[in-house]
Amino acid sequence: MKANNKNKVKTFSCEQAIKLVFRFIDDELRGNHRAELEHHLETCRHCFDRVEFEKLLKSRLRQLNVGGSSKKLRQRIETLLEQF
Amino acid sequence: MQLTQQQREELKRLVLPLLDDLERFALSLCSREDLAEELVAATIASACESFTRLRDTTKVKQWLFRILSNKFLSDCRKQSRHKEIGLTDSFEDEDSQFSLFAEVSQPFLLWWGNPERELISRIMDEDIRNALDTLPIDFRVAVVLCDVEGLTYEEIADILKIKLGTVRSRIARGRSILQKKLWHHAQDLGLVKTKEAQL
Repeated sequence: MKANNKNKVKTFSCEQAIKLVFRFIDDELRGNHRAELEHHLETCRHCFDRVEFEKLLKSRLRQLNVGGSSKKLRQRIETLLEQF
Repeated sequence: MQLTQQQREELKRLVLPLLDDLERFALSLCSREDLAEELVAATIASACESFTRLRDTTKVKQWLFRILSNKFLSDCRKQSRHKEIGLTDSFEDEDSQFSLFAEVSQPFLLWWGNPERELISRIMDEDIRNALDTLPIDFRVAVVLCDVEGLTYEEIADILKIKLGTVRSRIARGRSILQKKLWHHAQDLGLVKTKEAQL
């Protein structure tokens, strides 16, 4: 689980990486932090799995309530818009 | 406020294509179709009243989401049935640092098994909706905007009129609490064993 540092690229510890996981999966991590985290994920199976897990759970939330608005609601809103 | 015919047509042109997004957002917050429809209708009524104050029509989605969020938060705070879940600060720190992955993963399995992925595949959408529904309302709104609606932190900050750091914190704490709820639910259903039971 310990980060492999042999190629001299600065990398995070697991503890530092975990703190940035949410920002990483939300595509909110930029610059050096992103590069360093990506490097860590290439060398740490445990953190890589954590990221994949968080992405999977996020995708399950993204799939909730998929579908178009109901016809009833659309008619109601169109009527409402005519009243103003 | 009475809109002119031209304003009404402009509002229709802007609002109707966003109805699916609004209903999905409302449904994710309320989890009941009837409440979600009421929330969307109230949002549109409010948008009609304040339409003349909308300056940047390219940000109409954020504007409508802001109205809907504010209505939802305001309604929740008024209703006593939400009192027990409405206080953002009522959750302990340990709730906000919980990781479902840390509870379920078994690193020694390496390539031969992936219990955390198995668990996610066995959790039903309804379980996730129920867990989402129990989040403190401020956290729920942030998590829904990020995970269900796919908005950026900056867009969420703009909608909720809060700082970026607060957005990050609400999303992180909300997700942790959500994962803890899912963990307890999975235990209740016998989908997972505690680490103690695995020994």
